[in-house]
Amino acid sequence: MNSAKVWLAEREAEKWVLYLGFLAIFAFFALTLHDDGFLSRRNLVNIVLQTAPATIMAVGLVFVLSAGEIDLSFGSIVAVSALLAAVVMREAPAVYGIAAGIGTGVAIGAINGAFVAYLRLPSFLVTLATMGLFAGIARSLTDLQSVPVLNGFFTGFFGSGSLAGIPSLILWTIVAVLVGHVILKETRFGAHVLATGDNAQAAAVAGIRVARLRLSVLAISGGCAGLAGLLYAGRLQAAKYTLGESDLMTVIAAVIVGGTALAGGRGSIIGACAGSLLMGMLNNGLILMGLSVSEQMIVRGLIILAAVAVSMREISR
Amino acid sequence: MNWKLFGPASVLAISLTAVVAHAETIGPQGEAATPSASVTVPDGKVAMLQGGGYKAALLWHDQSDFVNAVTAGASDEFARLGIEVVATTSAGFDAAKQRSDVETAMAKEPDIILSLPLDPVTSAAAFAEARDAGVKLVFLSNLPSDYQHPRDYAAIVTDDLFQMGKQAADALAAAMGNTGTVGWVFHDANYYVTNQRDNAFKATIENNYPDISIVAEQGISDPARAEEIANAMLLKNPDLGGIYVTWAGPAEGVLAALRAAGNTTTRIVTLDLSEPIALDMVRGGNVAAIVADEAYELGRAMAAVGARALVGEDSPPFVVAPAITVSAGTVAEGWMQSLHREAPASLLEAAN
Repeated sequence: MNSAKVWLAEREAEKWVLYLGFLAIFAFFALTLHDDGFLSRRNLVNIVLQTAPATIMAVGLVFVLSAGEIDLSFGSIVAVSALLAAVVMREAPAVYGIAAGIGTGVAIGAINGAFVAYLRLPSFLVTLATMGLFAGIARSLTDLQSVPVLNGFFTGFFGSGSLAGIPSLILWTIVAVLVGHVILKETRFGAHVLATGDNAQAAAVAGIRVARLRLSVLAISGGCAGLAGLLYAGRLQAAKYTLGESDLMTVIAAVIVGGTALAGGRGSIIGACAGSLLMGMLNNGLILMGLSVSEQMIVRGLIILAAVAVSMREISR
Repeated sequence: MNWKLFGPASVLAISLTAVVAHAETIGPQGEAATPSASVTVPDGKVAMLQGGGYKAALLWHDQSDFVNAVTAGASDEFARLGIEVVATTSAGFDAAKQRSDVETAMAKEPDIILSLPLDPVTSAAAFAEARDAGVKLVFLSNLPSDYQHPRDYAAIVTDDLFQMGKQAADALAAAMGNTGTVGWVFHDANYYVTNQRDNAFKATIENNYPDISIVAEQGISDPARAEEIANAMLLKNPDLGGIYVTWAGPAEGVLAALRAAGNTTTRIVTLDLSEPIALDMVRGGNVAAIVADEAYELGRAMAAVGARALVGEDSPPFVVAPAITVSAGTVAEGWMQSLHREAPASLLEAAN
């Protein structure tokens, strides 16, 4: 009972630290940049739009990390999924492109998962290998050419469209975060993910099918990456082999800052979403401050370091 | 060589024609080049600009010495004209980040945006918001698909890319006594700038130097792998007279491979200034010459095009800044001409 109280207290503290930090940085930019358009509705919406693909990748990664595994390949999956969807939509209706994009993501994730679950290989090495493998496939798929996406339904559904005044990218973010949160916190599957990440042997003894679960979380991560690829393709109205390439470190940082444990057993989808928005807000605010690119990188690095230090310290307390 | 690397078929056709028939840099849509020196802000318009409270954003594709020099040239010209630079970004070659950078910069309501669109297809949507808001767009080297001059953008400014490749070929040929075998290390990516330069080198060797043959061709996408690529090339062709390397970063790897093999005879020619490469050249090593662009002048011209557009002066659609060949004896002048700053002390000391 006592340990449960401590556990709860730690959870609360951890949440508060992240959200207070988030608010502090927001307030700082709001105060210093109030003349520079930071608080304009368009700019705030832009931050959410710009982070939508990374947030959705982060949702998938929370499941993987919570289960005690890691996925380094999701950036490459983004590119392959987006390109395949774009190529399919040259000839076929959007629904086939969507199916191709998501299906590719889930399939690649499941391949990762099969190596991890059934060949008992470490996910770090498996996904390190498939990261390179699928980056190469993305490059060769269209011979480095960008593929335009001209399907109006698709670019509206995943990019520039809106429903009741809310941009579709924001709706996708909300849906992914809510669904991910409910699955992780409210379902038996979510509890099994956390239990496996906490102690896989104990989980197996308790009857959890650990191998199948590992395959599932990597497939979820792949599926999320596939969806992120569709969002990029919709937003840019084109697909390119570089999509997702630079998201790996940003997404991992967002997830860790958001209170998910790198070693497994603890995960927060809402926290990952806040972490992702924090990254986007930093990018945006530092540009609006008129810093040079090098200065932006230095300040961003320092703030992320501080955020990780604070959130990890709260967790390990 | 995979000619598809050039991009759209139409550009490919025009480029090939240019390489064979005209031997000059042509724009992404086949535009003829106008020298950057002829693009200036008329004296009568300077006062008008200075009092206008105009703002500019510099939305670059990446960070490099080249970008720094372009930024310096543009910033100095903007400062002279009283135009404030309100945002500077780097997309790190990420098309999605470039789109975000445009959106973010728009919050500061710039009147001019200088940028290198990462590729025609993805950047068409990225710059649409700025274009529709009436921002004067000045592009470096690349053009978003279906953008029309002067309705959608003020001009494209770039290096004299063909001249850079051609001058590299001429310098390497001279260093080899116009005879021998050459290895060609090209940039294996669909990237207008490097593709034009690389192919101009190749075309010049093939068309102008009958006694030099390109016996090895190797694409490179990761500069960190240049050393292993050079090792493999030298293993198969131990008596290579020269190696062309697509830019200075990978050339450092190629130089490392030659040094490790104790090779003092194979000459290197590469593009863009780099201290380690230039130091080897000044010390009489493998590097025969470096071909550079006038990046500072390029930045000045971009700023001038944007400012001209603000006062209703159209500029030619395709403007090029000159190329210069830097040899051991001209390092100090070359650095100043290209980057508008002193050559590194190590070079000046070694040269004396």
